[in-house]
Amino acid sequence: MLRVTNGRVHDPGNAVAGEVRDVWLDGGKVVAEPAAEPADVATLDAAGCVVFPGGVELHSHVAGSKVNAGRIMCPEDHVDHYRCRTDVTRAGCGHTVPTTYLTGYEYARLGYTTLFEAAVPPLTARHAHEELRDIPILDTGCYTVMGNNHLVMKVLSDPDEERRAARLRDLVAWLLHATRAYAVKIVNPGGVESWKWHGGPVDLDTSVPPYGVTPRRILTGLAAAADELGLPHPVHVHLNHLGVPGNVAVTLASMQALAGRRAHFTHLQFHSYEATRSGSYASGAPAVAESINQHPEFTCDVGQLVFGPATTMTSDAPMEFRLHHLHKDKWANSDIEMESGAGVVPMRYSPRQLVNAVQWCVGLELMLLIRDPWRVFLTTDHPNAGPFVAYPMIVRLLMDREFRREWLEKLNPRVRRFTTLHELDREYTLDEIATVTRAGQARVLGLADKGHLGVGADADVAVYREQGDRERMFAAPAWVVKGGEVVVRDGEVVAAVDGRPLGVDLGDPPPLAADLAEQFESYSSVRLANYAVEDAYVPDQVLIPCAP
Amino acid sequence: MIARQQVGLATCTLGEVKNRADLVIFWGCNPRESHQRHQARYSASVKGQFIPEGRKGRRIVAIDVRPTSTTAAADQFIQVEPGSTFETATLLRALVAGKRIGIEEDAKVGGVPLHVWRELAEAIKAADYGVILFGLGVTHDRGHDLNVEELGALIREVNDYTRFYGLPMRGHGNVTGSNQVMGWQTGYPIAVNFNRGYPRYNPGEFSVLGLLAREEVDAAIIIATDPGAHLPGDSVAALQAIPTIYLEPHVNTTTGWATVVIPVAPAGVAAEGTFYRMDNVPLRVRKLVDSPFPSDEEVLRSIKETILHA
Repeated sequence: MLRVTNGRVHDPGNAVAGEVRDVWLDGGKVVAEPAAEPADVATLDAAGCVVFPGGVELHSHVAGSKVNAGRIMCPEDHVDHYRCRTDVTRAGCGHTVPTTYLTGYEYARLGYTTLFEAAVPPLTARHAHEELRDIPILDTGCYTVMGNNHLVMKVLSDPDEERRAARLRDLVAWLLHATRAYAVKIVNPGGVESWKWHGGPVDLDTSVPPYGVTPRRILTGLAAAADELGLPHPVHVHLNHLGVPGNVAVTLASMQALAGRRAHFTHLQFHSYEATRSGSYASGAPAVAESINQHPEFTCDVGQLVFGPATTMTSDAPMEFRLHHLHKDKWANSDIEMESGAGVVPMRYSPRQLVNAVQWCVGLELMLLIRDPWRVFLTTDHPNAGPFVAYPMIVRLLMDREFRREWLEKLNPRVRRFTTLHELDREYTLDEIATVTRAGQARVLGLADKGHLGVGADADVAVYREQGDRERMFAAPAWVVKGGEVVVRDGEVVAAVDGRPLGVDLGDPPPLAADLAEQFESYSSVRLANYAVEDAYVPDQVLIPCAP
Repeated sequence: MIARQQVGLATCTLGEVKNRADLVIFWGCNPRESHQRHQARYSASVKGQFIPEGRKGRRIVAIDVRPTSTTAAADQFIQVEPGSTFETATLLRALVAGKRIGIEEDAKVGGVPLHVWRELAEAIKAADYGVILFGLGVTHDRGHDLNVEELGALIREVNDYTRFYGLPMRGHGNVTGSNQVMGWQTGYPIAVNFNRGYPRYNPGEFSVLGLLAREEVDAAIIIATDPGAHLPGDSVAALQAIPTIYLEPHVNTTTGWATVVIPVAPAGVAAEGTFYRMDNVPLRVRKLVDSPFPSDEEVLRSIKETILHA
């Protein structure tokens, strides 16, 4: 039994806002305070500390084919960022694309205990699971990309609305089960397939070859399927036109199309740009934030830009090709048959570069203008907008407007013409930080045992020493506890326990429909019988129930 | 690998080749002998979703220094001089980009008239979905990784006009899997040195040949390869001079001299595991029969545990 005592507990899920109270942990769970002092109890004295639930990361790129393509392509990212092995940790390296072990240690060192890989094509799902198993300490899961999947688009091309919905629901369940994934991911719906046909960027109502379905139908169809299956996490949407000035139009139109359905919009910063008269970037954050404010069924994460190096990697292959043309630096691409694509391009964001400065402001504007912290989450779309190790600094930017102003002074001065960040005075409270980094994320993921410290919650706890400098405070927790074991002490990993894989309980989904199975056998380069990920890749997977 | 770290590589899975590629260029490879099912399954005769006619729906070009069964079955065979990969790839880049070449129209590049290259460049731009499948003739030609780098640059520049990709025709069972696992565990795909307690990468210096040539290795564990057959004589002699532990299911040119040979169950026959195909698609290989021998994994685990608890 472990007791965390004397700390100020911030547990927004249970409306505990900084009260000094004890948290008792036993058998991997938070338990009620025992009636009598137990004999074998270890105590962490958290006097002068805040006690948070373990952090929950719902959108990061940490495992799988495109992440590893980034690692392999970019040795320059690793050479100055290495860790020697210790008695409890393995050696590793990498800054924006760290090795799997280092990824686990670095997340744990920030107080995170749960992590989701945000984009996995079904064909390479085994690879993602192999890497997730090599990420220590954190419980992990992944999302399956479906927004350019041929079977999905074929089903969606059915004119019969009812049959279409029923077949899509079965297909989504089958795909999720085959990939042992946690949620439905949509990346640039229709846009990746269009690119394979040399088509241009797609709008919401562009008919996409070869099945003639529109991004609108892909979005609404998959959102409905996720809802009807009662998946714990709604569709996780990367919209069309990522990174393009003026994309606020397609963002708002997509939100309009999904109104009334649960949906999570990811790295919204990249989707919230107005176009200036010269076609350059201006903030569209106020309009997008207002749309989120008005739709309680929506959540989003921000994808905050971090100045310095980044490695962009996404299934949005055409977007990566466009990025590659900015600098003509190296570019990796992989079209994935019948499913998806992927691209990787290294980047460096600079505060003097006006576009980057606008992007940086847009992210913070979204965080400050969206009023409900339960519906906007802190991410950097790691490593696309920057590495996750920047979270403590971003927390300070949110909590400390003076610090924000200092940073605004360092930006390209023209940025004030194109954003409103300098007018925003809001400062996040500790409770709000706890919400946007764990409580809210766990809730939208449907993880009832995570992101809070009520009795029955997983014994995942992060304890930070109170400091005026919030960046230092959140960069080195006094303790991090995972599953009841102390894994980090004073910002250093002291035990590298194994995390568990997370999945959804779909029961025994119906087999792939005969016409789809025939299509698969005809055109895939693997046999259907060899497609589904075996149990061996997700040993003891924890299955979260669906609520259809 | 080294070329990918310089320019990246635009590529696709083999199913995309099958379903979409209307132009297939075999460059410095002979899959009809080295990858015998490749053409039938993915790259020549197979019927794809958008290539319903199969072989007739594809234009196949073979570039090689000598006629082979692959070049004989191609629509066009461009026989080049040895050592000309970099030069010809550079020429194609210039032709695709419409640059002035500054040589006479009847001049030869790589032993091939300019007009042949000009026509190939036009065919590349006119394709809907083209791929270059390149083999040892590119990677082991004079220039090595620079050849691949130049091909990579050509491939990405053609993407300004159409979809165009490159796939290395990799051999050796699961060499791709080895690169992948090294990548996610150490950050680097090959040539990793842990002697300072963290991964360092320097191909050449930390490659097998370099380490053996400098006699820096005082013991070796050898898995899933036959150095006796694949390494130069000097390197084999250097290995023979030190203690070696060899995990191998078959008798081969290394088993005779390795200090310790541990027979293992062959993966995909008597042991399961993950196999990364040449296009990085991970496949499950199954255990079909029982073997009296342990798997590679079991052997390594027991060696590790024995050392840990010594």
